[in-house]
Amino acid sequence: MRFSIYRYNPETDKAPYMQDVELTEIRPDMMLLDALRELKKNDETLSFRFSCGEGVCGSDALNINGRNGLSCITPLSSLAEPIQVRPLPGMPVIRDLVVDLTQFYKHYRSIEPYLIVHDPVPEEEFLQTPEQREKLDGLYECILCGACSTACPSFWWNPELFRGPAALLQSYRFLADSRDQATADRLQALEGPYRLFRCHTIMNCAEVCPKGLNPTRAIGEIKKLLLKHII
Amino acid sequence: MISRSQGLKAWLFQRLSAIYIAIFIIIAGLQFVVRPPQSFEQWHGWITSPVMMIATAIFFWAVLIHAWVGLRDVIIDYVNAFAIRFVLLVLLGLTLAGLGVWVARILLTGAP
Repeated sequence: MRFSIYRYNPETDKAPYMQDVELTEIRPDMMLLDALRELKKNDETLSFRFSCGEGVCGSDALNINGRNGLSCITPLSSLAEPIQVRPLPGMPVIRDLVVDLTQFYKHYRSIEPYLIVHDPVPEEEFLQTPEQREKLDGLYECILCGACSTACPSFWWNPELFRGPAALLQSYRFLADSRDQATADRLQALEGPYRLFRCHTIMNCAEVCPKGLNPTRAIGEIKKLLLKHII
Repeated sequence: MISRSQGLKAWLFQRLSAIYIAIFIIIAGLQFVVRPPQSFEQWHGWITSPVMMIATAIFFWAVLIHAWVGLRDVIIDYVNAFAIRFVLLVLLGLTLAGLGVWVARILLTGAP
């Protein structure tokens, strides 16, 4: 099976290049990550991130044949040859397929991804009705792999200012939480032309999310909340 | 023009103006299909009736707002250098404001 892999070592290479490699021993159930690990046996300088290997940790998001996804849950059999493997688009490359996600995490941190409660915290536990809990479905499952934000043209254009689909999905996860009491502050922090409103419902985020989540819908819900808030 | 229309306001105005523009075009278009004016005087009477004057003024105001928000989005998205972005936004604002003055002149005095 033929691969074309993005290579760049800033210490030795002047510019990034695509390296053609071939893997002969292919098992039918092989995922892309397995192939990359086999390739690394032959060339240990090939760098990429991975951890759990089963689509839970979100470490191994890559641009695979032009589409962002997790290499560990992308079957080789689903890919056309030569398989083009590149780092996540728009992010600074540290080496080969490893990108610097500092910006991504900065946006995540900025939306205060934790419950903010002003009342005294209950002694034992917060109770939610099944209906209240249901509102978090489709939001809490995000593994922060970065596939959505790095597939978003608005994020490519204004990466410093636009929060990006991942951070906004997380923001709505806390806005939608019946236990959170910082709705007004959270909404206020998203106002302005950049942080939230750079989203033009392009929907690349929903298209690539490996967990099948829909950040565009979450962003729409935030806009609705903002609207309710001023009326 | 709408200097405070950051974020939500811009987004809201864009949608409200779109709805108004669509409704106005449909109604004004239907008017021409259903009851086409037979002479210039008839058309002139229709367009200068107070209701039509106000509706037309709001229509052009909506078009200008809509253009401002849409083109501002395009500039913010594609023009990254601050200085060029600023100049383009000022030019856009001035152009649209000029068009607004022109429309007001036509509507109020009837002169082009």
